[in-house]
Amino acid sequence: MFMRFQHFIRALILAIFAAFIIKLHYTGEIMSYINPRYTLMSKIAIAIFLFLFLIQLVRIWENRNHTHNHCSSGCHHDHDHSGSFSKRFIVHLIILFPLVTGFAFAPATLDASIAAKKGLMLPQVNEGTASMGEHLNRMGEATDEKSAESIEPPANKDDSIIQHTAPLANTNYLSKEQFDKEMEKLTTSDIIQMNDNIYASYYSRITEDPASYIGKKIKVSGFFYKEDGFEENQFVLARFLMTHCVADTSVIGMLVEFNEANDYQEDTWLEIEGEINVTNYNGHVMPFIKVDKLKVIDEPSEPYVYPAMIKIV
Amino acid sequence: MFSRQLQSYLFDVTGLVVMIIVFYFISASQSIGKIFSINMPSSFLQLNTIFLSILIEAIPFILISVLIAGFIQIFITEDHIKRWIPKNRFAAIFVSCVVGAIFPACECGIVPIVRRLISKGVPTYAGVGFLLTGPLINPIVIFSTYVALGSKMAGLRMGIGFIAALAIAFIISLLFKSNQLQHNGAGFSNTAVNTGKQHQSLFSKLEDMLKHAIDEFFDMGKYLIIGAFVAALVQTYVTTTSLFILGDSVAGSSIIMMALAYVLSLCSEADAFIGASFKNLVPSTSILAFLVYGPMIDLKNTIMLWGAFKTKFVLTLFILITLIVFLLINLITLL
Repeated sequence: MFMRFQHFIRALILAIFAAFIIKLHYTGEIMSYINPRYTLMSKIAIAIFLFLFLIQLVRIWENRNHTHNHCSSGCHHDHDHSGSFSKRFIVHLIILFPLVTGFAFAPATLDASIAAKKGLMLPQVNEGTASMGEHLNRMGEATDEKSAESIEPPANKDDSIIQHTAPLANTNYLSKEQFDKEMEKLTTSDIIQMNDNIYASYYSRITEDPASYIGKKIKVSGFFYKEDGFEENQFVLARFLMTHCVADTSVIGMLVEFNEANDYQEDTWLEIEGEINVTNYNGHVMPFIKVDKLKVIDEPSEPYVYPAMIKIV
Repeated sequence: MFSRQLQSYLFDVTGLVVMIIVFYFISASQSIGKIFSINMPSSFLQLNTIFLSILIEAIPFILISVLIAGFIQIFITEDHIKRWIPKNRFAAIFVSCVVGAIFPACECGIVPIVRRLISKGVPTYAGVGFLLTGPLINPIVIFSTYVALGSKMAGLRMGIGFIAALAIAFIISLLFKSNQLQHNGAGFSNTAVNTGKQHQSLFSKLEDMLKHAIDEFFDMGKYLIIGAFVAALVQTYVTTTSLFILGDSVAGSSIIMMALAYVLSLCSEADAFIGASFKNLVPSTSILAFLVYGPMIDLKNTIMLWGAFKTKFVLTLFILITLIVFLLINLITLL
C-alpha cells in the first residue's frame, strides 16, 4: 500500500471545484455568472463533485495489485497516467487555473466596453461611417424582403418568452395570469414601469410597434452607453439580456435623447422618466425617450435582465 | 484486520489533509487576488467573468456526460454495440443521427460520450452522426428556437441540420475507414475487461464506472477550460460588428454568421435568442446558418475534439461541416 500522488492531486482538485461552486452559491455570486433559473444545475454539480471526491479519496491509497484485480490490463489507464510527469503537471495547472482566478477575483459586471464589442443589434445603429450605415441598412431591408417572402415572422408576438413546463425554483417566473396582467399594464397604465422581471417583454413590444406608444410616459433604468455614430445628444440606456450565462448576453436598451448627454460617463447607471417618441432613421421607425427627469443611481444588485418565463400549470 | 484499520485511518487523515490544502488554496488565491486586482485591467476581469460563466454553465453537463461515458465504458460491451449498430453503412448513419436527435446533449458534453462509443467499436461515421445531431436536435433546442424565431425557423433548423448530419457522416464514412481516436493503441482493446467482468459484482462495477468518469473529467476538462478561455478572449477583445465588413450578399452574411457561431461557442439551447438579435441585420437564411453551424462545431468543441481525435480527422470534419452547412444554406435560398 502506498500513496499515489496523481490521485491525491485529483482528489484535491475535485474538492476545490466543489468548494468553488459552494462559495458561489453561498455568497450569491452565482447570480453574476449565470441566469438564476439554472442554479439548480450547478447545485447538482456540487453533489456530483463531492461524490466523485469521496470515490477519488479511496483511490489515493489503493493497492496497485488490488486495482489490477478489479480492473485488469484491459482497463486501459489511457488517460493521463502514461504521460510524463511534466505533462501531467501542466494538465493539472490548466485545470487549477479557473479555480485560482475564480477565488482570486470577484465577478465583474459586464460594462460598456463589452457592449461595444457585442454591439447593439438595431438596424438604425451604424458603425460611425456613412457607408457602413447604409450597408447595414441595405442588409436590414434585404431581411425584410426575405422575411416577407420566405420566412414568416413568429406567430407568437411575445418573442422573448420561454415557456417551460417544468417549474424550477426561481424568482423570474411569472404565472400566465401575472404575465398577462403585466403586459396589459403596458397599454393601460399611465406610466410604463420597465421593471426587471418584465423588461425584455416590454422592450420587444415597444420596439416592434413604437408608433402605438407615442406620448406614453415611461420609467426605465439602465447604464449609459454610446456607440460610434450617435448624435451628441443621443445615448442608449442599456441592459444586458442574459439567456443562460454571461457569455450569451446581448445588449438591449432604449435610445434616449437628452441635451446634456455629454455630462455623463459610460457605465453610469441612470434612472430616466420621460415620454416615448419615435424618430425615423433611414426608413426605420425607432422609439426613443424624451427625458423629463433623470437621476444617477447605484448599479443594481442584479444588473442583468432575463427573458420572462411563463409557468404553464 | 490491522490493515483494514490502518486503511480507514489513512482515509480519514487524507481527507483531512485535502481539506486543509483546499483551505490554503482558497486563502492563497484570495490573497493573490488582493495583490493583483488593483493592477488588473478591467478588461481582464470581464474576460475572467465570461470565462468562468462558460465553465459554470458547462460543468454540470460535462459531469453528467462523463458519468454516461463511464457507464458506457463499464457496462456496454463491444458485443452490445455490434448487435445494436446495423451492418449496413447507410442504415448505421441514419440510426446514429436519429439516436443523436433523441438524445439531449450539449456540444461539449457529447465529445466524451462519442469518444467512448467509438472506442467501444462504434464506427467513426456513426459516431459523427451522433455527434452532430445530439446537440442540434433535441426538445429544448427546438422549443427555444420556436419561441425566439417561430415555427418555420425551428423546423428548418432541425430539417437542414439533420440532412447536413447525414451528408457529413456519409462523407466521413468514405474518407476514414479506421477509428480516428488519438490513443489508438492496444490500450483500447477491451477484451480483457469483458472477460474479467464476469467476476465483478455490480457494486465494484459501479465503482469502476465512477473512477472512469473521474479520469474522463480530467481528460476532457482541460480542453473545455482551454476552449472556454479562448471563447471568452474572443468575446472580450473582438468587435462582433467588425465581422460585417465582408460582403452584404446572402452568401457573405452567411459566412459571417457562421464565423460568429464558431467563435462565440454558445450553448445550443441559448443561441436562438442571440440569433434572433441579428434579425434586423442579416437575412434569415444567414441566421439559419448560424443556428445550424454553431451546435455542430464551434471553437470550444473543436478544442475538445482535438483532444479526443487525430488532428487530421478534426480538421477534415471541420472543413466538411463548414462546406456542407454553407452549401445547404445556399440551396435553401434558391428554393
